[in-house]
Amino acid sequence: MAFFDLSGKHALVTGATGPLQRALAIALAEAGADVSLTTATNEMAEEVQANSILNECWSIGRRGEALTVALADEPALSDAIAGLEARIAPIDILVNAAHAAPILPFLDTSSEHDAAAFTAGVASVLTPTRVVGRGMVERGSGRVINLASILHDRGVPNCALYSATQGAIVGFTKSLGIEWIRSGVTVNALGIGFYEDLPGPQHDAEIHAALERYIPLRRLGEGSDLQGAVVYLASDEAGFVASELIVVDGSITAHG
Amino acid sequence: MPILDRFDLSGRTAIVTGAGSNLGREMSLALAEAGADIVGVGRRPEPLEETGAMVRDHGRRYLARSTDVTDSSDVNAMVAEAIAEFGTIEILVNNAGGGSAGRGKTLSELTDEDWHEGINTNLTSAFFCSRAVVEHFVEHGFGRIINVTSGWGYRGARHRFMYPISKAGVISLTKALAMSYARENIRASCIAPGAFPHELTPEVENRSGLQPAGRFGRLEEIGPLAVFLASDASEYLSGETVLIDGGAIAAGLTPAGMVPATGEAN
Repeated sequence: MAFFDLSGKHALVTGATGPLQRALAIALAEAGADVSLTTATNEMAEEVQANSILNECWSIGRRGEALTVALADEPALSDAIAGLEARIAPIDILVNAAHAAPILPFLDTSSEHDAAAFTAGVASVLTPTRVVGRGMVERGSGRVINLASILHDRGVPNCALYSATQGAIVGFTKSLGIEWIRSGVTVNALGIGFYEDLPGPQHDAEIHAALERYIPLRRLGEGSDLQGAVVYLASDEAGFVASELIVVDGSITAHG
Repeated sequence: MPILDRFDLSGRTAIVTGAGSNLGREMSLALAEAGADIVGVGRRPEPLEETGAMVRDHGRRYLARSTDVTDSSDVNAMVAEAIAEFGTIEILVNNAGGGSAGRGKTLSELTDEDWHEGINTNLTSAFFCSRAVVEHFVEHGFGRIINVTSGWGYRGARHRFMYPISKAGVISLTKALAMSYARENIRASCIAPGAFPHELTPEVENRSGLQPAGRFGRLEEIGPLAVFLASDASEYLSGETVLIDGGAIAAGLTPAGMVPATGEAN
């Protein structure tokens, strides 16, 4: 393919323990990038996932490491990123794929839920962007790609807190995209709808069937559906795409 | 399938309107580079042939078809010829458009002709071409339609009627196509280019400071987006409009270069 070659670039995919994050990481590796990951804890299940993703990247000849770090802990993250960049290479592509989906009736939530949701859903995007983005701006090139649910502008019951965090991500993407574009760093978002592999009501069989009728493309999304968009946005070819949200949702937002 | 292979367009044929120059030529060349054969459509034959020579340099087949895309019988004949030549058509890029119909006129000054010219050039042309290929797409259970709108399709401006209205129509056409033919494996998407000057003269380049990116779009930046949207790598994306404008629409009417004062409020 004449386009979208990511060879020689180093990508960091955060929250890389789920199937969507796996698909994003593998796509970047297949397109040529070295890929590193972050996980939130040392729990066995996360480590197994992260190692399995890394193994797949290594098996096609890429380098990369997994870091266990709290994304919203700026001093800890700064140290971890400095070490990673020294060992592998400066990060060219940051995919903020760490994603939390708090689903609760709003009256069942408290200010503790708010704080947790904004730490997991917003600070975990802002902090890595600040830490990794500083170097990108200094070097005059970089790609930041944020995962954002279409709930940033669609309403669903029991998702008020989730929607609030997603609105924050989209607003952040738009302003920072303008702030950094002249530095050669683009900031964009990848919009997702109902995906098989995300937490949410779709795991109920009846709701799943209803969603298959509701989504114009007649199926829920899978990680592989995001691979084209993430590689496009990460590539040199997308240097004039900034502050944009590319929605890959089976066409939900075009009609619903 | 590895991701880069999913961008490959080998064995597919794309009709590109307005293929004789600028964005249309660039998209034709990028699609060809990704593997597609091209039907170049436009009004004047010579520029279409120039595009054709470049497409053939990529080793692809090319048919130039001089067509008035605002004339439905000409459009229908063009599509029939393209199918006869290539067997199947998989991709349609509705790029033809532009024009300055009624520009600067007040509402009461706009003539019927201004209205029809503005709508026909940008919207009717995309409607005619889409209608002409859709049954073929349905028959083959595959189709990709890429429309081209503009940032003007999102926003209003004083005494600018025809161009923004017709370009907003193109965004809406994209959604209607996406909804109507989703079950037939037809996808419709839309590219919204920001400022891509046809000629980057020093005089034009001096105005690039008005852009959030501090520069205009470069012609070669449009083609890869068309490749992505025409390919299987965007299988789950439809009805969507993708801005490629260096942040211009996101920045809105913010005065160029304006950076709000930072620091503690006092």
